[in-house]
Formats: sequence, C-alpha cells, structure tokens
Amino acid sequence: MTSKKILIKAENISKYYQMGEVEVRALEDASFEIYEGEFVVILGPSGSGKSTLLNIIGGMDVPTGGNVFFRDDEITGYDDKLLTMYRRNKVGFVFQFYNLMANLTARENVELASEICENPLEVDLVMAEVNLNDRMDHFPSQMSGGEQQRVAIARAVAKNPDILLCDEPTGALDFKTGISILSLLNKVNKNHYKTVVIITHNAAIADMADRVIKMRSGRIVSDIYNDKPISPERIEW
Amino acid sequence: MKKFNLRLFRHIWEAKGQFVAVSMVVAVGIMTYVAISLAVLDLDMGTKQYYELNNFQDVSVELVRINESGIERIRRMPRVESVQGRVFFRTPLAVEDKDEKVNVGISSIPNAENRINDLFVVEGGWIQDERRDVLVLEQFAEARGIEVGDVVHPQIGGKEYELEVKGLVGSPEHIYLMEDEQNLLPQPSKYGILYVSEEFAQQVFGYSKSYNEVLIKLKNPNEDGIFKDELEKVLERYGIRRIIRREDHVSNRIVSEEIRGAKQMANAIPVIFLGVAAAIIAIMISRMVKNDRTSIGVLKAMGYSNRNILIHYTEHAFIIGAIGSVIGVLAGYLLSGPMANIYQEFYRIPFKVRIFSWSYLLMGFVLSAIYCIGAGLWGARSVLKIAPAESMRPEAPKKIGKTYIQRATFIWKHISFSWKVVWRNVFRSKKRFAFLSVGIAVTFSIALMPAHMLNVFESMFFDQYGEFMRMDYEIAYTQPLSERSIMEISELVDTTDIEGKIEFPFEIENGWKSKVVSVIGLKPDTKFFNLTDSGGTELRLLPNSILISETMAYILDAEKGDYVNVKNFIPFKDDVRLRIDGIVKQSMGLNAYMDIGFMQKALLDDEMITGVMLDSTDKVKEKMEDAPNVSSVNSLEDLRNIFKEFTKLTNASLSIYAFFAGVLGFAIVYNSTMMSINERRLEFSSLRIMGFSKKEINRIVLKENLIMTAFGIVLGIPLGRWLMDLLETTFQTEFYNMTAPIETNSYIYAAILTVFYVLLAQYFSSHKIKKLDFIEALKNRIT
Repeated sequence: MTSKKILIKAENISKYYQMGEVEVRALEDASFEIYEGEFVVILGPSGSGKSTLLNIIGGMDVPTGGNVFFRDDEITGYDDKLLTMYRRNKVGFVFQFYNLMANLTARENVELASEICENPLEVDLVMAEVNLNDRMDHFPSQMSGGEQQRVAIARAVAKNPDILLCDEPTGALDFKTGISILSLLNKVNKNHYKTVVIITHNAAIADMADRVIKMRSGRIVSDIYNDKPISPERIEW
Repeated sequence: MKKFNLRLFRHIWEAKGQFVAVSMVVAVGIMTYVAISLAVLDLDMGTKQYYELNNFQDVSVELVRINESGIERIRRMPRVESVQGRVFFRTPLAVEDKDEKVNVGISSIPNAENRINDLFVVEGGWIQDERRDVLVLEQFAEARGIEVGDVVHPQIGGKEYELEVKGLVGSPEHIYLMEDEQNLLPQPSKYGILYVSEEFAQQVFGYSKSYNEVLIKLKNPNEDGIFKDELEKVLERYGIRRIIRREDHVSNRIVSEEIRGAKQMANAIPVIFLGVAAAIIAIMISRMVKNDRTSIGVLKAMGYSNRNILIHYTEHAFIIGAIGSVIGVLAGYLLSGPMANIYQEFYRIPFKVRIFSWSYLLMGFVLSAIYCIGAGLWGARSVLKIAPAESMRPEAPKKIGKTYIQRATFIWKHISFSWKVVWRNVFRSKKRFAFLSVGIAVTFSIALMPAHMLNVFESMFFDQYGEFMRMDYEIAYTQPLSERSIMEISELVDTTDIEGKIEFPFEIENGWKSKVVSVIGLKPDTKFFNLTDSGGTELRLLPNSILISETMAYILDAEKGDYVNVKNFIPFKDDVRLRIDGIVKQSMGLNAYMDIGFMQKALLDDEMITGVMLDSTDKVKEKMEDAPNVSSVNSLEDLRNIFKEFTKLTNASLSIYAFFAGVLGFAIVYNSTMMSINERRLEFSSLRIMGFSKKEINRIVLKENLIMTAFGIVLGIPLGRWLMDLLETTFQTEFYNMTAPIETNSYIYAAILTVFYVLLAQYFSSHKIKKLDFIEALKNRIT
C-alpha cells in the first residue's frame, strides 16, 4: 500500500463552531492519508464529525486548525477562487439526497457539471456507465430514488475528478437499490481508477472498503486496512 | 446552450406569470418615458423650428396708436433687429346661425419681406386684392368648415364686409389659439384670426399710416428684459397698453408649460414604475435564492464560483429588464407617433416634425438595466453568504414567538382556526406585510389620480364660473365707453341686474418683480364677483387699495398689507401706489381687482367702462347681435359647456392612470402571493391533510391579502395626498390654480379600483394552489 501515491493528506485538522455561548468541537486533531485509487469508508455515528471531515477535504469547508494537502498542494491555504477551482476539477460530490436540479433532465444535470471543468468525460459514455441511457431525458421528479442517485454519481464522475466524495450515498435508499449504488461506486473505483471516499453510519458498507476510518465524537478512533474487501453484492444489512 | 443558462430559462418559464407581471411594470415605465420624451421632443423641436422659420416675435407691444415715425424710433434702438407695426382688433363675424356669437381677431399683415410672425400657408395662396382678400387661421377655418374661395363677413364698426378667403394659414403666434387669457380652453369654432392687408386694416379701423400693435425681433433675444425697460421710455407718448415678452406670450407660454410638465411626467413616472419593479425583483430574487439554498450549495460543490452564481441569479433580473425594456422601448416608440400627432394637432404646428432620437431609446434600456440589474444584485447578494457545506444541512427553524394579536388572549380565543392562520401569517411575515402594504399604498395613490384630477378640473371650472364669477352674461366692448352704455344695454335686453366693469391691462410691480395683468374694476358691492380669500373671508374693494389673485401674489411674492406700484402707460396719467388689501382665491387666470370708481379716477377716465355684466333670462346673445361697440357676449353657461367637452377628453387621458395603477397593483399582489404560496407549500399541504379544501386555503390567502390591502389603502391616503400635492405643483401654471381638497368619492373610487386589482391578482394566482401537489410537497427533497 505504501507504494501508492498520497492523494489527500490531513494533518491535525480540527473544526470548532460557536453555537451561542457553547463551542462545538466537530473535529479534533484528525490526521490521515488517502491514496490514489483507494476505496475508503469513513464510518461513524451521526455527529461524529465525518461530514465535517468530508467537507473539509472536498474544499467545501475550511478547518479551524491543521493542514490538508491535495497531492503536494496545501488546500487549506487556498483562497475562495482556488478552492472553487479545486472543487471544479479535482473533486466529485455525491449527496445523500441526490440534490439534482429539478428543472433539468438527467442528461442536463450531468452536463451542468461537465461543462465547467477542464477535462470532462463524454456524457453519453458516463450515462451508459450508470445504466441510464434510456432515462436521459427524464426529469428528477420522473425518476426513482435509485435512478436519481445514479444521475448524481454520473454528474460527479463526468467531471473526471481525482476523488469522489460520497456523503451517505445509500442513506435514502432501500437495501436493493443501495447495493446497486455501491456496486456502481465500486465500478467507478475499479474501472476508472478513481479514489472513492464514502462516509456512512452503516457498518456493513465498511466490508467493501480498502480502508476503514472510524470516527467518534470528532476524533479518528481507528484507521484500518481491509485486506479482503468483499464485493458490494455480498453486503447485507 | 449552457445548461446553467437552460436552468435559468426553465426557472423563468416555471414562474412566467411573475416574470411577465414584473416585466410589464418595467415596460409601462419605459414606454411612458420613451413615448412622452419623443413626443415632447417633436413638439419642442417643432415649435422651435416653427418660430425660427416664421420669425416669431421676441417682444410685442399693445398701444393706443403709433405712427411710422414711432416705428422708426424703435428700429433705431440698438438692440432691435427688426420691427413691424400692425393693426389688430377683435370684431364679430357674421355667421349663418344668428344665435351663434363668433368673434375674429382681424390682423394686418404687411406686404413685405422677412415679416415678423410670418404666416405659413397651408392651403391656397396669398392676398392678391388688398381690399377684398383675406387669409384665415387654419384651426378656425377647419372648425368652421371655411374653405379657400369662401366668403367671410366680419362686422367692423357696425358695417359688414365681404372678404374672400384666399388661403388657410398657420401662425407661430397662435400655436394655441385663445381669445384672451381668461378663456383658457381653445374654442376654434368661436374665435379665429383673419389676416388682411395693412391698407385694408388701416382704413377700416381708422388707423391711417399708424398701428395699435408693434412686433419686434431683437438681436439678442435674451436681452428682452432690459429692452422692455428701454422700450417703455421710447414709447411713453404712444399710450402703451402692455409690453409682452416672448416668455409671457400666451400661446408660447402654454406650449412651454406643456413641454415642461410633460418632461417632468416623463421623468417621474418611470421612477415610480422602475422603483416598484426593482422592489419586486429584489424580493423575488432574494426569495428565490433563499429557496434555492441547497441548489446553490450543490452548484458551489460542483465548482461554480460565487461570481457565476451571483450572475446566474442576477440574470433573472436582467431578463425581466430586457423583456420590459424591449417591449417598453418599442411600444413607447410606436406610441410616440400618435402622441406627437395629438400634440401637433392640439398645439397647431402646420408641418410634421418627427425626430428620431436614439438617446431616449438607449436611455430606456439603460434605465431599465440599472434598476433591474441593481435590484437583481441586491436580491442575489445572499448567494455570497451561502457556505456549500452548510447549505447541505436543513436550515434551523426560526425562533418564533407569539404575534401581537396572539397576546391579546381574549380576542385570540374567540377567533376561528382559519382566521388564526390568517392573522398569524399577517403578523409574522413582516417583510411581506410591509412590501405588500407599501405596494398597495402606491397603487391606491395612483388610482386616486384620475378621480381627483377630474374633481380638480371640475372644481376649478365650477369655482371660477359659478362660485367666483356669478353673472349670467359678460359683454365686452370693442372700445372703452361711458357708463351711460349700461342704460343702453338695459334698454335692449331685460335684465334683473346689470353692472359696468373695467378690464384693463396694467403692469403691477412689487420691488423688482412685475407682471402685466388685466386689472378688473368692479362696484364695491358687486354681486357678480365673489371675492374671498382662501379662508373664505369676504374681501371688500376700497379706494387706494387693490386685491390680487393667489397666483399673482405668488408671482409678485407679495402678501396682504404690502404696497405695489400700478404702472400706468396711458399718456398724462401717473403710476399709483396701492396697498394690497387681500389675496383673492381664484382657481383660473390671474388678475387684480379695484374699486371701479377709484380705478376710473386714479388710472383711467371718469365714468369709463370696458364692458358690462348682467343677469338675465332674455335672449341676450340674439339681442346684442346688432348692438354697436360690442366685441363679445359670453355666457357662463357656454363656458361650463366647454368644460364638459374638455372633461370628455380629459377622462380618456386620465383613465391611463387607472391602467397604470392596475399594472402596478396586479404585479405587486400577484408576485407577492405567488412567492408566499411557494414558500408555504408545506404549511398548505399540512392544512390539506388536516381536511382543509383548496377553496378554504384560497380563502385564507385572500383574507391575508385583503387585510394587507386594507392596511395599504390606509397607508395610501397620506401617500396619495402627497402625490396629489406634487402633481398639483407640477401642473400649476399661472393660468391654473389646481388646488382642491381630495373628496371622499375619489378615495372610495381609488379603493374600489385597488381592491379590484387585488382580486384580479388573487384570481390569477389561485391556480397555483389548485395545482399544488400536497403529497409531493410534504416528501419532496428535490431542490
């Protein structure tokens, strides 16, 4: 594993919020590395700081302390403009509630993302990859949750990012659809050699990861390599 | 097309009703600006060209008599470029209907080059036979159906002359034709101008080689003030009646006032409309951004920059501005043609002047862009504050306390549930409440305009011809006569009352301010004029004192108790210094009033009068038909009838304000309601699940709107008063004193109109509630 190149490196990152008179410590002293091509699951109960962590490494939020590096660049030193460029060209996000643009079709949602980045993938190919060729012209309201999440994944993948950050991608889906989404993410990781990071509270998903980072109360409690990741189809919850 | 732009257009399409409504507000504002500006430009330039082309006078003088050597003396004055004498008298014109009293001004026109106030031949030719031929002013000929080749019969000194019409002409002096300053509305069928040769005029009026008017062109027209003083000295011996500078020339003054007023309107109306549109846009965009919070977070997560997103939302506003300004500029341009035609019909310029000025069209776009983009940026500014990470989390619910009405426990207990929903929402959505109330207040105040302005005109006329002037008939003499003439008229017609009067122009000076006006001499106990001040106190005419009208007091900057100088141009008569004993409330025209006996003694001749006033049920006009020395017979009834005609015209032009108010009211209420329904989908869905019908929910929204409308109307009353004051000041001229209290009827009319617009907007927005998918709204997480 050590021969792999480091894609993301977090050094002692912390995030504090002020809520009224109370200081909330969402993330404390978290350090870890994510390697190119890895499939990482960040596991933890709600409120453990995993979404905060994902937002910080995705350039959506800035830490109160510590440093984050993308390859050799320190993104914690980026200004707003550079962070936007980072999100635009390096990162793809998948959200729990899909967050598609309601007034754009599946295809248009994907194009909305692909048309602003430097090196996008062919939209038709990506749509075929997520198995949505025949649903391309449907609006989100005409699609099931699973289909919408596929569009969301296609939207993230079409930008041809270096890393895919997925926030509870199966959280709003039934078991069967959830598995199909995990298979798709696995395919993206294996076939396109994209680094995928999933955050979830569902421990069963951890079995398919190359590495599992466990979090509790804003801290990383373990960072374990999984020697024998299983295929998503074998996961059960 | 970029998908980001596609999203923009789909957004607009989904809320097309709202976008169209606001675009129309922008369009009406821009249309008004472009149409009035272009039409006024045509009128302004047309007038200027006409003046230039036809050598319009800088100064004119009315005097008793001036001979050629007098004219020569003026010509030698250093500031004078050219000078021209003329004979001008008003006489009756014999027409087929014996009951109809028609007057004409007979004006001499020299047979020379470079005539001052030259005529523009519209049809026919010039005077050939100097003893028989006449040129007729076009608008008079048109109104009376006089054609080239016809014969007209002016009665001069009791003798009827037969004159053949050789041509129909326009004159820069009579762009707006009025018999005198007291008759403010043109009556082209009752009064016209006949142009005859100098030789003929001098002969029939007994002015051999002399004139009673002088027209002057100056080398530098701006020096007319100083020239006037110089001229007074030169003409002392010729009996000046009055010197009129171009700015005081009635026709020119009325056109200039119209241009000034219209320009003010062209600037004020767009400010109101674009201001309202900007307010709606700013609120619309800010609500859109608020509702799109998660989408904006997603867009930022995808890599769209703050700038991209800010522009995206501002483009919504830009498109409103673009649609509105394109429609507004086009409609304004198209409308400017007919408007200019109406102007050029009303203010008679014989040739069409159409000036295409890009600058106004461009300004229409610029104005719209400034307001709309400004409002869009303002509304979208919160885009910058949305942090992508935060936007993914649902917003924390707002801390909501009890509303004012909920604290009134006793009342609250006795209100039904649906009314509780209504009142709670009215008090909770303070911004919406403020926006809607202010919007309704603006709508109400504009809706107040048509009814109020009609009242103003009505009270102006009826005050003047009924309350202020109370005689049945006014008879003006062709020349001053002795008081014995009162007896002669009494013998001709049965009168219940008759009084002599003097109406004579004098210059009244207060310090450096001065004005030439008709000073009216009346019996101290006159029953034909109701002279009161604005407080309603009766004013008495006393020797050694004078009463002046309100507008006159304003022009002279004088008040009761001040002393003014009455300048006397009559040879061998001195100026007199008089105390202002009161300021007369007079809605039209400007005058001064004096005790007739004192006026005769101090300023004119003993027993001299220039006309009579009388009350009679007799056929006065018919009986005065052949009376010598009678220039005109006017009945108050005639004047009131003219007003009725005028009202019809005014009604049409004022109804445009009702339309303006409608566009504003509709756009404000419709947009606000649509935004409210959009934001309250969850609330309404819950109500539906609780068993409320769509009708009941509609009724809740209607009740809310009506409560805010009621509040808006109350707020609109002071705003309306302020707007009416502003309007009255804008249209106030020295001819009109447009002050009248706003009547209850006007308020009621405006309120009905406002409620109608609110109901219309409510009707159009109700489909949104009908179409609301309640189940979807409750479960929907798609942004």
